[in-house]
Amino acid sequence: MRRGVGRREIALLLLPALAWLGVLFVYPIGRLVYLSAFAPAFTLQHYAKLVGASVYAKILVNSFEISVTVTLLALVLGYPLAFLLATARPRAAGLMLAGIVLPLWTSVLVRTYAWMVLLGRRGLVNEALQSAGVLDSPLSLLYNRLGVTIGMVHALLPFMVLPIYSVMKGVDVDLLKAAQNLGANRWQSFLRVYLPLSFPGVAAGCLLVFVTALGFFVTPALLGGRGDMMIAMLIENQVRELLDWGFASALAVTLLAVTAGILLVVQRLLGERMWAR
Amino acid sequence: MSGVTRRYVLKLGMLTAATGAAAAGVAPRVARAQPKQLVVCSWGGAYQEAQRKTMFQPFEKETGIKIVEASPTDYGKLKAMVQSGNAEWDLVDVGDLSVIAGAKDNLLEPLDYQTIDTRDVFPQVVHKFGIGTIYYSTVLAYSTKKYTKGDHPKTWAQFWDVGKFPGPRAMRNNPLDNLEFALLADDVPIDRIYPMDVERAFRSMDRIKKHINVWWTTGAQPAQLLADGEVELATSWNGRIFAIQKQGAKAGLEWNQGKLQWDSWVIPRGSKNKDGAMKFIAWATHPKPQAAIANEIPYGPVNRKAFDFVSPQAARDMPTAPDNARRQLMIDPVWWGEHRNALVERWNAWLLK
Repeated sequence: MRRGVGRREIALLLLPALAWLGVLFVYPIGRLVYLSAFAPAFTLQHYAKLVGASVYAKILVNSFEISVTVTLLALVLGYPLAFLLATARPRAAGLMLAGIVLPLWTSVLVRTYAWMVLLGRRGLVNEALQSAGVLDSPLSLLYNRLGVTIGMVHALLPFMVLPIYSVMKGVDVDLLKAAQNLGANRWQSFLRVYLPLSFPGVAAGCLLVFVTALGFFVTPALLGGRGDMMIAMLIENQVRELLDWGFASALAVTLLAVTAGILLVVQRLLGERMWAR
Repeated sequence: MSGVTRRYVLKLGMLTAATGAAAAGVAPRVARAQPKQLVVCSWGGAYQEAQRKTMFQPFEKETGIKIVEASPTDYGKLKAMVQSGNAEWDLVDVGDLSVIAGAKDNLLEPLDYQTIDTRDVFPQVVHKFGIGTIYYSTVLAYSTKKYTKGDHPKTWAQFWDVGKFPGPRAMRNNPLDNLEFALLADDVPIDRIYPMDVERAFRSMDRIKKHINVWWTTGAQPAQLLADGEVELATSWNGRIFAIQKQGAKAGLEWNQGKLQWDSWVIPRGSKNKDGAMKFIAWATHPKPQAAIANEIPYGPVNRKAFDFVSPQAARDMPTAPDNARRQLMIDPVWWGEHRNALVERWNAWLLK
């Protein structure tokens, strides 16, 4: 006889999580959609405003541009780091892991201010380069796209490293040896064996970083310049300063829809590989 | 087996009851049975500390009404509270534009002017739904490390003159606190600013745009940028510059062509202690508490009699001291109330261009 969880038990086990999500996720998002289209009678005025002025499309494009850049950079930095972590001896790995996770315990605000101290016109980096004679006048590292990118990559790097690391830990290193035994050089064995096996971690990490980056607020607000407004900043402005909740909801719903659309397309393109273990 | 289950269910039940009670706000309501408690929300920081010392504590002592503090003021929260019929705050310190917006959205209780003595209160801060708490100014601030001999720009035309006054600059990322200055820089006389010629203001902003290194979003930023040497010129709220001066930062401010604004007390509709809030407003508008807070932190009293109790030394740093006030522009909140949302949209588009 098969001992295991039956359908009814599965439903029971899922119930608390579903109830939780229903109250804290589905209901608020339903309210959001409602607010964006009823005032109190059905209206598309908020969406019309959104489509009518090109500034909102620009801000949306901005947000996606920044998020894609941040995701790619975090991947380039995070993948080797995760590899190092997965292959290091336990004690060294523990130390490195602490180094990666520790910043998560500090508020984003504090980390953002730390970047101001480092990257400012009179910041550590510029002062050092100037006193070393490398520079005559300070570099503009802050209050532009570069500052936003640096700050966000730093804030989001752990979200890239951790999923990749956890997948890499499960990869059987003997497979690499087997590949090399069969005539693959190190580069080939990495490209054709290790990379595909670690891919689910990469997909999860990119997804996590990209989606989190889209909603970023503090870092672009404090480190960005006039061209770096992101959609979360716009929504905050509408909710707290202008009290235009209908329009804020329309913005949020649009962001949600566009993000979901992109994720669907990506999943379609990558297919099963995205979730395969 | 059944015992365990029963105990578990019991526990679960108790937990549910407890959460339910907390969510329904039963506990605070018991405490509120004696209406001796007044929940006041303000902006936090040095400002609220000054309010605590010079207003909240003395008021408590005099009336026996216990003040419970909250912070910071958040218009979004205020709106949510009133609309959900559960106003946690009885009295809120808000910006001048929020009185207009709050009145329009029906979020506020009208004030009872039978109980408030407004004889010596500056008339522009008296509104059906709110009354001034203090005046503050947006001013031209500068680094005293760069400008050591009083040779800093003293008008907006000079702030706009990047040839004569080169160096990094910061302005607020908001049409508020900018468009008036843009008109002044374009030689519009100070008494002819409102109603604003928006086209002319944006044309003037076009000329300074690429010379602005930082567009600040929070009030603490310009002061910090000046203190760090990140910029040498900035627009800033006067209290912030005073605060960093006290900490030894090399920064100064110019009153000439500053913009006077004020904060207001408002009572959220459905406040649970309307009478207490009204009592507090009447008390806080008197000359003596007005002088006490101005002596503590250099914002301007809204009651002109308060200057009788302010030391001449302290008065020099206040936006409404006669010498400072006559060189400044007074905001027109009604004009802004009508145009703000459209201007913010235009501003964002302009900034991204």
